[in-house]
Amino acid sequence: MTGNDGEWLPQSARDRLARFDAAGLHTSLLPVPGAVGIESVGLSPVGEVMGCIVQYVGWVGGSSYGMGMSGYGGGMFAGSVSYQPYVDAIYHGYNTALARMATEAKAMGADGVVGVRLSLSRLTENNQEFVALGTAVRANSATRPKRLFTTELAGQDVAKLMRAGWVPARIAIGIAVETRYLDYASRSQMSMMAGNTEVQAHTQLTNTVRARARERFAKQAKENRAEGAIVSNMSLRFWHQEVNSTPLLCAESSVFGTSLARFHAGRTAPTRALTIMPLR
Amino acid sequence: MTSAESDEQRIPEDAMKRLAEMKPGQKTTLFTSDLSVNEFLLVREAGFRPLGLVLGSSIYHVGFQFGRWSKNQELDVLSNAMYHARELAMTRMEKEADVLGADGIVGVRLEIEFKEFGNDLAEFVAVGTAVKADQPGQWRNNHGQPFTSDLSGQDFWTLIQSGYAPLGMVMGSCVYHIAHQRFWQAIGNIGQNVEVPQYTEALYDARELAMSRMQAEAEELRAEGIVGVQLLSLPHRWGGHTTEFFAIGTAIRPLREDHIISKPQLVLPLVDS
Repeated sequence: MTGNDGEWLPQSARDRLARFDAAGLHTSLLPVPGAVGIESVGLSPVGEVMGCIVQYVGWVGGSSYGMGMSGYGGGMFAGSVSYQPYVDAIYHGYNTALARMATEAKAMGADGVVGVRLSLSRLTENNQEFVALGTAVRANSATRPKRLFTTELAGQDVAKLMRAGWVPARIAIGIAVETRYLDYASRSQMSMMAGNTEVQAHTQLTNTVRARARERFAKQAKENRAEGAIVSNMSLRFWHQEVNSTPLLCAESSVFGTSLARFHAGRTAPTRALTIMPLR
Repeated sequence: MTSAESDEQRIPEDAMKRLAEMKPGQKTTLFTSDLSVNEFLLVREAGFRPLGLVLGSSIYHVGFQFGRWSKNQELDVLSNAMYHARELAMTRMEKEADVLGADGIVGVRLEIEFKEFGNDLAEFVAVGTAVKADQPGQWRNNHGQPFTSDLSGQDFWTLIQSGYAPLGMVMGSCVYHIAHQRFWQAIGNIGQNVEVPQYTEALYDARELAMSRMQAEAEELRAEGIVGVQLLSLPHRWGGHTTEFFAIGTAIRPLREDHIISKPQLVLPLVDS
């Protein structure tokens, strides 16, 4: 069965896990400072883990199937096209890659995965590969978390956080695509003769799409009763498109980061910065 | 066993316990931030709590102005555009922070990106992390706005330690057209090592304008000084002779009389950097 879910692993991955069990060899993708860092807070690397999925995205929503105008997002826009199928596909890709990575890590008896690298690459026009790659770690503790913790943060950063009473919880992702009809007013704001002026269509679109992506990011981060989230990467992409000979402006915003949970008891975190001056 | 050692052994146990407690669907207040881990921890140690990532953006059509071929001059249409658009982005970011009830915004990045679509379109974006002080106090500036600072978390910590507080980001911009040399002048310079006074003057003029505008903004905030100033020449897309000179820094005020920080310890790192 080729599952579409995170539980499924290909034969080669299961073989590797079986070998891992038999050999008891511990591997890690961490550089030396990262490895020393996590060791100092009672985590030890178990092995490198990967989750991967190749997806065919044939329908991005909106214009591809001649849907034309649908929905009136944001209320104030003249008309907008929904790219929800595309957004869903991207989410599905990342989530599945992360889930498969977690499945591998769980099979190794890990408590979390640190230094996760998430990537998306286009193999052909419609085929996209999502990869999640990280180092599974096991805590030197009696309690086991019910769900693995995952983080994009490097080993050193995880160590610094844990020493200050914070623990990374989950990778959170916020992705949104919004579109907007380019009306006459905004096109004239971009003409040679327009002079200095803010271009409303673009400004509103960036603000909406970023707000959506951030909302989704915060919602994902919140799901677990986390107290904070550190954003590691935020990007924005624009493109123009014609739907039924109507000029459309589209924008995609994505936010990646890690949610944090606090375990120190006091009001302030027990950090003790030391002022040092490197001699080099 | 010393207490430090037992403390260290408690870390993984406490952390895993906390993770085990986590359940979906529980209500919580959450902050977001784009600080790095170092910055996040230092901002906490400085006595501030991050409230959320704040952002303001404006997509701006930058107007058009011809510089006279052989004249040094400020292109005020372009200067105004750069000012206005940055102001829009900054004000929107401050507004977001205001809604969160922030005392200030740290780690602000102010970026301009000329877009590939549409001529002369640029996105101005300001991103930072809104923070609130653990101890209530007068942190906002004399406009009643949250303070802004483009200092990193590390610099922010050091600044607070030494008894200063940021007031606001101040900037000055000047888009300047540098004259082309006249034909005979250029011919006359061939084979000689000479100063080209026209160019020197132009660059002086433009930088001084940018810096004095930044200073004026700091005076308006009644600042004691400006730290972390960057003086940039940004060519953008206006060809070789039109350049934006941009000065940006953080205006600061003293928190107390003495400004002594603990003497740093010297270390010899075992890594290259």
